[in-house]
Amino acid sequence: MRRLFWTAVAILGAVLVETALGYLVSGPGRYLDPFLLVVVYCGLSGGEGQGMLAGVAAGWVQDLLFGGPILGLSALAKLLVGFVVGAAGSHFLISGASARVLILLLAAVADALLVQWLASVFGIEASPMSPVTLASRATLTAVAGGALYTMIDRQLQRSER
Amino acid sequence: MAAVVDARRNRILLVLLVVLHFAAISHQVDGGGGVSLLQRGLFTLLSPLQRGMGATVYGFRELWDGYGFHRETYRENRRLEERVRYLEALLQERSHLAREAERLRDILGLREILPLRTQVATVISRDGVPWFRSLTIDRGTTSGVTLNAPVMSSTGVVGRVIAVGPHAARVQVLLDRDSGAGVLVERTRATGVVSGQVVQPEAGANDLILKYVPERAEIANGDVVVTSGVDGIYPKGLVVGRVSYVGKGSALFHEVRVQPSARFDRLEEVLVVLREEEDLETPEVVQ
Repeated sequence: MRRLFWTAVAILGAVLVETALGYLVSGPGRYLDPFLLVVVYCGLSGGEGQGMLAGVAAGWVQDLLFGGPILGLSALAKLLVGFVVGAAGSHFLISGASARVLILLLAAVADALLVQWLASVFGIEASPMSPVTLASRATLTAVAGGALYTMIDRQLQRSER
Repeated sequence: MAAVVDARRNRILLVLLVVLHFAAISHQVDGGGGVSLLQRGLFTLLSPLQRGMGATVYGFRELWDGYGFHRETYRENRRLEERVRYLEALLQERSHLAREAERLRDILGLREILPLRTQVATVISRDGVPWFRSLTIDRGTTSGVTLNAPVMSSTGVVGRVIAVGPHAARVQVLLDRDSGAGVLVERTRATGVVSGQVVQPEAGANDLILKYVPERAEIANGDVVVTSGVDGIYPKGLVVGRVSYVGKGSALFHEVRVQPSARFDRLEEVLVVLREEEDLETPEVVQ
């Protein structure tokens, strides 16, 4: 229950970050995906079940508030990313900052490619993303996520003491 | 043992969720168009938060800009620091007010000129995902905004409403590659359809593409392009932009690009064209 509450808070935080970025830069979705940070964190800390459920929830909120005319694309992509990250998290020890940054990087790339692939499967018109944009978005998301996760870990350690 | 059961349960759940999402997306693609209850509820719940966040960010940005400016002034002239700070702050406030007044005057001027019932709305969020070009405005069904309502800025057509809640609505801008509007060239009356381009938006190509202009039609750079009204969404005669490129396309049609009049990256206030009562009862939905 507590985890569910914090996941909801994190998704709400992602909504606010995405909204705030919209006021600062044009096309914030091209630079950072705050929803993915929530999904990957839930996957790494809670396993595949929590990863995919967080992916569904975050993806739907992203689709509803920031997506195009067809709902569910980001949700489906994040569901799959959450599951895979959760499975990786429960089979391998991914606790170091660099390992998590790498996972975030791969997750961001996978998420973007999945959305584009799903759009083409369903015949939905979606603007393509250049390799440069894809790489910079994944890098920025990974770096921001790495820093954020480190801060959360420190906070959790402090509260445990 | 418990871990194996958990893993199996998760896999079953994954398959179920994937199937469910495929079904949901397929349903929208096949028939789609309306607004779901979930979407309406989330708009109602979260749009005030988004608006609040926007106001906070504006506040912090102004604070930050002010801090930078004050520090620079202090270095330049210590003696006149207080005086300059006061005057600059005043000037900043006045110019901000003047810009705001100018924007509102433009919008109100357009509102008076247009022979249509309109509603002024503020843009509260834009371009949340890179694949679609959309923005969110702070007016919804309670203000008379309906699905497919045309949205304008003081300089030109912005797009159409694709989802609407009680207090907010999402607008698909003309730059979205899935958008479309029936237009004609004002000078020669040549008709066509404008939509977003299929090229990378980050490459600076924020022009619209004008399709289906016959090879024999007369068209030149600088020609004004206005809506033709044939699509059933945009009223006739609204300015869309100016022709920025005319090239040889296929055997039948010109290849034409249009620089939009609306400045999509700087939109703050827009006008939503409201439907008449009889239209509200039987809204015409055009995909």
